[in-house]
Amino acid sequence: MADLIQALIGILAVGGAVFCLIAAIGVVRLPDALTRMHASSKAGTLGCGLILLSVALFFPGIDVVARAAAAILFLLLTTPVSAHMIGRAIYATGAPLWKGTGVDELKGTQDDPARRLGQ
Amino acid sequence: MTVFLETCLAVSVGLVAIALVLTAIRVLRGPTEGDRIVAIDLFGVLAVAMIAIFAIWLGEQVFLDAAIALALVAFFGTIAYARFVEHKAALKAKEPSDG
Amino acid sequence: MNLLVVNLLLALAWMAVNASFNLMGFIAGFILGHLILWLARPLFPGERYFRRTWGGCAYMLWLVKEIFVSAWAVAKSVIGVGDAVKPAVIAIPLDAKTDFEITLLACSITLTPGTLSMDVSPDRRTLYIHAMFAADPDTVRAETKAGMERRILEMLR
Repeated sequence: MADLIQALIGILAVGGAVFCLIAAIGVVRLPDALTRMHASSKAGTLGCGLILLSVALFFPGIDVVARAAAAILFLLLTTPVSAHMIGRAIYATGAPLWKGTGVDELKGTQDDPARRLGQ
Repeated sequence: MTVFLETCLAVSVGLVAIALVLTAIRVLRGPTEGDRIVAIDLFGVLAVAMIAIFAIWLGEQVFLDAAIALALVAFFGTIAYARFVEHKAALKAKEPSDG
Repeated sequence: MNLLVVNLLLALAWMAVNASFNLMGFIAGFILGHLILWLARPLFPGERYFRRTWGGCAYMLWLVKEIFVSAWAVAKSVIGVGDAVKPAVIAIPLDAKTDFEITLLACSITLTPGTLSMDVSPDRRTLYIHAMFAADPDTVRAETKAGMERRILEMLR
């Protein structure tokens, strides 16, 4: 039983590390800042969350489980907030989106941050 | 600790280390400021993951506290950088109308 | 939300009686207390507490599932075996009204399939999202409204 749990911990850790690596590859390979953010916010969160889960399984005490759960919850709460902030900042800098981008329903409207900030 | 778990942890550390290097490349290369914020944000998350793996490997649960503290600080760093970039863009957009 | 206070008191009582002041004791006490209140629900007509807590749990599970699905989709496309990347910025008209509803929706959108919330218009009627696989923007719009927003509003209202 203990061996089984140890195996589970190892598999979770490797799985989390693989997702971390995929997030990094995405940040290097994807075409523009906004698409890179998809890789970092999703794959990165899942990877880090899986690794924290394996920490929670590894240590016996309830206090470690509570702290790991708090860390995962914190990660899930902060990722969308920072992603939102980064997305707005990227758009506000007016850096051109990737040429393969389809429609841009924000550009030029009264809500366009590039325009709103200029006023 | 079984041999299997030991091997898994070594592999994980290697993968996350490669990820950290790739992310650092993106921070250095840019090209825009937005790319750098995204990469620095991911760098923080990866560092938290790395510390968590070491917590298991070395059996030190104190490392988990360090990971949580780093997660907090990295979050505020990202927010500050994003706001800085946004304000800089706003100032730049204002300039022509002032002059 | 008075029933929440009652539920917490019942959990506290359970912990005191068992002298088990730790997380497991609290969870056991809370679940038992919830069960007791649920059995006694004819006493509280028009109470939405049960629907909210159960809906909240169901929503959390659904969200975790979606996070896995989305991370998988993004991962496949990063490696080059998934859907082709076809990003777009899409405006979504909001039915959600209060701050909490909009915040929850925006956070959920960021965490799930290939979408990322970017900005809310100042009049709070439109949410702008960046989607990664948006060959057809109208499908993404319809899916987000029918899937995520409907779930959130059903849970909260």
